[in-house]
Amino acid sequence: MENERMNITEHEKGPMRLFAARTAAPDVVTIEGSVLGGYCMLPRERTMVPRIATGLLDAGTATKTKDELRGALASRGASLHFSPGGDRTHFSATCLPEDAEFVFKLIRECLSESSFPTSEVAAQKKRTLAELEESKRDTSQQALYAFSRLVFDRTHVNYADTTETEIERAAKATRKDMTNFRSLLGQGGLVLAVAGDVRADEILTKAATVFAKLPGGTAQMTQKAPNRKRPSSEESLISIADKATLDVYMGASIPFTYDSPEYLPLAVLTSMLGGNGLSTAHLMRTIRERDGLTYGIYASLAGFGGLSEGALRIQATFSPATFERAVDTTRKEIRVFLDSGMTEEALAAKKDELIGRYYVGLSTTRGLAGTLHKIGVEGKPLGYADEYPDLIRAITLADIKNAASYVPFDKLSLAAAGTFIKK
Amino acid sequence: MATKTIGGTKKSGDSLVQGISFVQELGGIEEYRLDSNGLRILLISDSSVPVAGCMVTYHVGSRNEAVGHTGATHLLEHLLFKGSEKFNAAKGSSIDMLLERKGAAMNASTSFDRTNYYEVLASSELPLAIEIEADRMRTALFTESNRQSEMPVVRNEYEWYENESWAALEKEIWAAAYIAHPYHHPIIGWKSDIENVPIERLRKFYDDFYWPNNATLTIVGSFDTLTVFAAIRTHFGVHPASQEPIPTMYTEEPVQEGPRRVVLKRAGNPVVSIAHKIPSALHADMPALLVLASVLYEDKTSRLYKAFIDSALATDIMVSCNQTRDPSLFQTSVTLAPSTPHQKAEQVAHKEYERIANDGISSAELTAAKRAARVYAARRKDGPYALLSAINEDIASGDWTNFVRLPGAIEGVTVRDVKRVAQTYLVDDQMTVGWFVNAVA
Repeated sequence: MENERMNITEHEKGPMRLFAARTAAPDVVTIEGSVLGGYCMLPRERTMVPRIATGLLDAGTATKTKDELRGALASRGASLHFSPGGDRTHFSATCLPEDAEFVFKLIRECLSESSFPTSEVAAQKKRTLAELEESKRDTSQQALYAFSRLVFDRTHVNYADTTETEIERAAKATRKDMTNFRSLLGQGGLVLAVAGDVRADEILTKAATVFAKLPGGTAQMTQKAPNRKRPSSEESLISIADKATLDVYMGASIPFTYDSPEYLPLAVLTSMLGGNGLSTAHLMRTIRERDGLTYGIYASLAGFGGLSEGALRIQATFSPATFERAVDTTRKEIRVFLDSGMTEEALAAKKDELIGRYYVGLSTTRGLAGTLHKIGVEGKPLGYADEYPDLIRAITLADIKNAASYVPFDKLSLAAAGTFIKK
Repeated sequence: MATKTIGGTKKSGDSLVQGISFVQELGGIEEYRLDSNGLRILLISDSSVPVAGCMVTYHVGSRNEAVGHTGATHLLEHLLFKGSEKFNAAKGSSIDMLLERKGAAMNASTSFDRTNYYEVLASSELPLAIEIEADRMRTALFTESNRQSEMPVVRNEYEWYENESWAALEKEIWAAAYIAHPYHHPIIGWKSDIENVPIERLRKFYDDFYWPNNATLTIVGSFDTLTVFAAIRTHFGVHPASQEPIPTMYTEEPVQEGPRRVVLKRAGNPVVSIAHKIPSALHADMPALLVLASVLYEDKTSRLYKAFIDSALATDIMVSCNQTRDPSLFQTSVTLAPSTPHQKAEQVAHKEYERIANDGISSAELTAAKRAARVYAARRKDGPYALLSAINEDIASGDWTNFVRLPGAIEGVTVRDVKRVAQTYLVDDQMTVGWFVNAVA
């Protein structure tokens, strides 16, 4: 399948979707990919296993030592990074064009043959425990985790356990857990996007040959239970000493998945409320530009999957001295936005911005590969890359208002972390 | 698709469009000069995507500030989004609104040696970006009211950095390493200066430095050269060169004559940072220093990765070979695992430094570093934004042609060069060490 206008080619081979886009950037190749297999497929007490295991996928295989694997990448100036997710294990790589096939082979080897040497497991657990200890002082992470506990029930995929719980689970992770987890990873749902100085058909033929040798792996995402937590204006304040600014998250869970017809209108609504723009985003225009209460305040949709609901969340940094005023003003401005900010003119401006940004985003190999990977993961046809601007253009004010009706704006939860001023 | 209409052999002084003279070409980058006011123009054509970038780099940064108005460059950068004579909210034509509606990726940033304003947007909108940048170069509208509303925004940005141990320590390291030179103070400024700098001082700063003869305009991506030249001549051509000479910064840092140490005690993740004085970006030793930095920390085979991360002594490392206009710092910053003593981390880093100074590096390490440099050089051209942000730093450090020449210079580095620069620069008397000590158990 080809998208000639955007110079993109897709090969479908069994359960795999492989995309390639040729760009003019000489010597640049960016690879984004993922396979099914993540913490959603594990019992709750093993949710830390993918985090530890993905850090070890390149730390030795059945036939190569850690030094051989990493040395082979380094000698080519290539990079390869694995990261864990709920339903998927992700990989991203960069390399020179002549090394792309070699990198594919290495990715395949890491996914299917990583050996998890005992000493490496011990070291990775130690590093993970140290990172978790660090994260106790991370205002953004602690506020975000607390926010997820306010808006999702304890069994939901987006509910974040406390850092203490994560530490307990990480400490208990075993090498056997790692190998069991690795057995999930294979061709199942493999999505690969390559962008850069490549010949699309040639690179995809090579990729298909290499990844056809992956084992099957898991083939399906886990069914997710719907969120049972009711919206509330509950607040959670986490004290962390000696912090100059507070990280704040406000928002609510949204009762649909990214496959829902309401998702795209909600994404546009969210950007109208809290996008990056100083003029086209209501909260930046008021809370930052008018009132000077923050360096940045942004709304986003997060945690949505093909089978899981996500949340609309507003993220900001506020000074401790003006925290309460900033929160009150934000709540008021959300109301102002709902009452008078959803206009035809504001929607038209936002649509222009989103479409323009989409094309600008495709001007780098990373943006292009990321977009193609997302299309593959979300099960959309290749033509979606062309259709996206039209889909945005087609959204009406009625769609936006309908999307807004799914958000309990009068019951937004709030979590904040940092050093609060005592009164 | 835009076509590039100018090619062939050009020589310095040629005029392709009246009033715009060709200066030089290197590596596909063409330099021109707007004759009427001295504005330098760089054109980098790439017609593969229908996107273009526009950037003005002003040759002013925090190195041009002094006590009482530290952070002025950065605060001014924020204020330049408040509008200009042609483009302002009162006229319904604010800069943000016009550019955001076009889907432009736009922003600005401030560093030691420069301030830049940029837009990446559809090629068809490039003339608008040029017009906006030209207008705010000399007619920016910023008032005391703007300063009062923007100051807390900048202060919150300052506070955001203070939340991070490494960033808080970074400030202390530079302040200790530099006594006289303005790299001493943070780019964002001291907090009390951010809060109190008078609007008149900011206006003077603007009037001292925001002139075409103190700026470089870079256009990248897909564009029609004649259209771009016409827009530049029309919009930037209305500004004269500065009547007064651009103020020079003449302060030199005295020679450091012994190691310096700073300790910051605060609740936070423990960090050790080690900095050594190195020469400026254009010095002949810079390519070898960059290879040295790569050998120390480029990937999971690097020496410091093995020493700190593989061993679980640390959770993160940064190695920076800072390339600045004036002599700079070579830094290693290590975020420690909770059980790692600061002294131990310092010893481990010094041991790796000494190994290179005494024994040099292997030819395999050199080959890998060069390969990594080739990848890095290629990625600097991956789209208009990458190009703009990369060449911006070379413009700032004093010679944009370094953007083209540096990869070749790195190719010429030998194992002996790396050993020599390690021996020359990683010496105790030129060192500043900082500890961030977690003051809450």
